[in-house]
Amino acid sequence: MTGAHSGRTGRLRLSFIIPLAGFLLLAGFATMALMATLRGERDMSQLPSAMVGKPAPAIMLPSLLDEGRTVSAGDFAGRAFLVNVFASWCAPCRAEAPALALLAEEIAIMGIAYKDRPGDSRRFLTDYGDPFATIGIDRDGDAGMKWGVYGVPETFLVDANGTILLRHAGPIDRRVLDEVLWPAIRKLP
Amino acid sequence: MITELGHFALILAFVTSLCVAILPLVGLRTGLASLSALAAPATLLMAGAVSFAFMALVAAFVTSDFSVALVAAHSHSTKPMIYKISGTWGNHEGSLLLWILILVLFGGLLALRGREMNFGLKVRTLAVQAMVTAGFLAFCLFTSNPFARLDEAPLDGRGLNPILQDPGLALHPPTLYVGYVGLSLAFAFAVAGLIEGRIDRAWARHVRPWISAAWCALTAGIALGSWWAYYELGWGGWWFWDPVENASLMPWLAATALLHSTIVVEQRDRLKSWTVLLAILAFSLSLVGTFIVRSGLLTSVHSFASDPARGVFILGILLAAIGVPLLLFAIRGPQLSSRNDHVLISRESGLILNNFLLTAATVVVLVGTFYPLALEMVNGARITVGPPYFDATFNPIMAVLVLAMALGPLTAWRRGTLPSLRLSLGLAAAGAVLAIGVGMALANGISAAGLAGLGLLGWLALAITGDILHRLKPWRGGIGTRAAVLPMPVWGMWTAHAGMVVFLVGALGNGLFQTEVIVRALPGDSVDVAGKTMTLRAVEARQGPNYVTETAIIELRDGTDLMAFMTPEKRFYNAERQTTTEAAIRPRIGGDDYAVLGDGDATSGYTLRLYRKPFVSWIWAGAGLMAVGGAMAALGRRQRRPAPLADSLRTAT
Repeated sequence: MTGAHSGRTGRLRLSFIIPLAGFLLLAGFATMALMATLRGERDMSQLPSAMVGKPAPAIMLPSLLDEGRTVSAGDFAGRAFLVNVFASWCAPCRAEAPALALLAEEIAIMGIAYKDRPGDSRRFLTDYGDPFATIGIDRDGDAGMKWGVYGVPETFLVDANGTILLRHAGPIDRRVLDEVLWPAIRKLP
Repeated sequence: MITELGHFALILAFVTSLCVAILPLVGLRTGLASLSALAAPATLLMAGAVSFAFMALVAAFVTSDFSVALVAAHSHSTKPMIYKISGTWGNHEGSLLLWILILVLFGGLLALRGREMNFGLKVRTLAVQAMVTAGFLAFCLFTSNPFARLDEAPLDGRGLNPILQDPGLALHPPTLYVGYVGLSLAFAFAVAGLIEGRIDRAWARHVRPWISAAWCALTAGIALGSWWAYYELGWGGWWFWDPVENASLMPWLAATALLHSTIVVEQRDRLKSWTVLLAILAFSLSLVGTFIVRSGLLTSVHSFASDPARGVFILGILLAAIGVPLLLFAIRGPQLSSRNDHVLISRESGLILNNFLLTAATVVVLVGTFYPLALEMVNGARITVGPPYFDATFNPIMAVLVLAMALGPLTAWRRGTLPSLRLSLGLAAAGAVLAIGVGMALANGISAAGLAGLGLLGWLALAITGDILHRLKPWRGGIGTRAAVLPMPVWGMWTAHAGMVVFLVGALGNGLFQTEVIVRALPGDSVDVAGKTMTLRAVEARQGPNYVTETAIIELRDGTDLMAFMTPEKRFYNAERQTTTEAAIRPRIGGDDYAVLGDGDATSGYTLRLYRKPFVSWIWAGAGLMAVGGAMAALGRRQRRPAPLADSLRTAT
């Protein structure tokens, strides 16, 4: 070997260790997640939410399909209903469209078109079906903020008194339908 | 038989890669020249063996040998030949083997070339490349053997996902992989430089063509993928901020930064430790992109759960391939530090700004891609942050980048002065004003962001023009000589930057001026789309090679002139029991007419989605120009300018 680095013993410097430290942090997280999956410890159940048990936010939104009208959670006074936050740019929302269609036969669903262009939302309904009783346009995500939404899709169950009973983040698949939503809907008075 | 030979060749390649990874380094340390001289020929042997293995797998697919488990699971005897071949890499094992093939071919190219390279650097680079190869060959052989046989061969295969039966699939993954894997050489150069403890201008000169080549392939690969999504998915969009797309965008952004920082190392011997770090990160992002995010190799995070061995193995490879170089960087990096003596207005500053913005953009995409994945890891919720997040974060960064991109090439190394930029700056400002004016005249109620985008387009276009005029000075004599002595990479830069302008024309034209109409139409109904009339004539059933269709026949008229018949289809694949949508697209330079057939029947009508998409094909043309620019930079380096030309310049001035 040539004397390229002989005699030059570089001191460690913090800024050169940061990339390694950052990577190890991420890698540690990934390893833990993987190990937990392998041991079967990771429970994929719904999120605890600060919103559960609180009254549904009474924000007024412009209606997507009836121009000039507004929709809000108050429209369902005295009835239990679901709230589904969706967007045309959200791939998992396409996946849950059949589940929403099934749910719509039993319970009214209010849609919130989250951070989406109205034209795109309408196209989404054309392509994947419209299970909603009413749909509000939430262009800037204000309603999403009030509902504590941190991504789409998300679904909430609200009872006849307007109290949020349950929240599910992520698409509704067969398992969520059978183990989470149907049992909760059946328990309603 | 040939399948078993393929398997054997893969084992041979694995053993060879272990030898190349260890012996030449031992040779360099102990002075045993015969050991270090082994690196190049053994790398070529490895390349040959993997090529043979790959051909053996292709042969199994071509002959529909359903006793091979992979062929039985992913092919079908009725499939057209081209899709039998491309089906080889339309699955986890096959795409992994393709990935390894490209890895060893890049190693082989370096073994053949690079004669003028410092021997130690070349041998160490080949050794690092072989370490990566060994890791992935082990992964392939021990967890994802493509040559596994079935005890009882089924009568026919289970087919291939119909959406993947497309010419796009034949081209897109291989091109993208060349880009991903090409970055492995930059990575190997960086690690070899760290082992040697020396990164200098010669290092940068040798690594630059490889980075340009990888960047060129990555650009072309991403463009092909976007084009494929545009015409195959039938959604009318060209970029969806999907994890798969982001997985390719992140290494692209990092590689773009690397491409520019290497120039600083070569020209000014500065920014060395940063460049090494970028080289490591760019390839790391490629690895993460290919293996963690679903893109053919691992279909989703759930593949970890479904096959624990694969998950643990790939995590181990990633830990070693990213962690060890970063450890080496932490120890050796400080030796590479260089003085920071550049002034504010200089080419160096511009390139540092470029790197800062591109890194910020990479981080933004990384967060947007992995926040949902991390959340899924934590609580299983599959949510997405989507375009609103990226519009709010990525686009502003890119806007500043375009603003700076116009100025960077105008400034001189070491120190630049604003007056010397007067011509180009004036032109650029005029361009911005002009573009904004045209935008306001053409469209009422155009958004401020849209106007800003148009302004940037004009700004960049005329700044590049100004730079070209400034350097070639066509109003003076001797333009031919000046053009001839300009290095090829400068032409490459202009081409790539002009590609950005063309890309912006497409992205803005489509984004700001698109017309979209959704109707429910019965045969005979006419719809007006951006001044043209589309009339649904009929919907009929047709028979394809392995599918049946529902095909709409739509007449496109401009006034009374019949321009074209458009035939969007829905295809039903019998073997796979799946449906795909084929959009009908009439691409023209001024814009595309785009029609999609939705659900419906003859009594209640058919849903049609009809678009006019101005300048949309400029998006891919721009990306193509960028790729050409990258290729010019990669190839132009090789030929040194002959001395007489330099003399003629001296006499001319």
